[in-house]
Amino acid sequence: MTAETRRDVFQAIADPTRRKIIDLISHQSMNLKAIADSFNISRPAISQQIKILHECGLVEIKREGRETFCSIQPQELKKIADWAERYSRLWEERIDMFETYVNKLHGKKNKKHGRSK
Amino acid sequence: MEDQNEISKRVLTIKKTFNVPRKTVWEAWTDPEHLIQWWAPKGMKITIVQHEFKVGGRWKYTMPMPDGSEFISEGVYTEIVIPEKIVTSANFRPMTEGVTLHVLFEEIGGKTNFTFSVIHPTEEYCRQQEKMGFYNGWGSAFDRLEKILSFITG
Repeated sequence: MTAETRRDVFQAIADPTRRKIIDLISHQSMNLKAIADSFNISRPAISQQIKILHECGLVEIKREGRETFCSIQPQELKKIADWAERYSRLWEERIDMFETYVNKLHGKKNKKHGRSK
Repeated sequence: MEDQNEISKRVLTIKKTFNVPRKTVWEAWTDPEHLIQWWAPKGMKITIVQHEFKVGGRWKYTMPMPDGSEFISEGVYTEIVIPEKIVTSANFRPMTEGVTLHVLFEEIGGKTNFTFSVIHPTEEYCRQQEKMGFYNGWGSAFDRLEKILSFITG
């Protein structure tokens, strides 16, 4: 399945564990052990999820000595907000078109009833 | 009754005041003849497949997309108070499913205060969808959505 291999921000948030990881490290960068300690899942499993987040461009991984630090890449996260914003703009545009139409309809009705003096 | 605070977190609301009597605004929103004039984005055309304007009645509009697929808007009216209020369930496929639309028309001195809200499903509903694997479908769905959105919003 192509859905398995695609790597973008939307794939990143498609999994509940990955969303939790994003929540955790969005405040501060954390090392892998600290992240794994916050879950009841094995450390390799968490590593796997972080690897996916990294491939999705959402998490930066830095190795310092024995430690692995993970930090969020907020510009990628912004794509989700942009997408949601576009969705609400769609409604705003529709209601704007409704407004234009209502005014037009009102104008037509006034004319028909000869209300203009 | 649903908690108002809880609802406000998952609502998109658009408020307008039209310098037009409520009767006309209501008519423009509910009459299919008028509806086809404004519902579709510029350059697009909708077909009204179903329009049972009564409580429990179904509505369904289709819009052909450039890739040959169809964008479907549909729902069931759950409350109609002429000429004040319309509540309906709504699906916009493939974009968002299981939302509720609230449309309010309030007349004040020949003008109309118009309030339009899209209420997204409860968190509980989202969790349920999650269990059913809804989110796993997101990845592939987003590709198409992205195309549709960029086409509609230009």
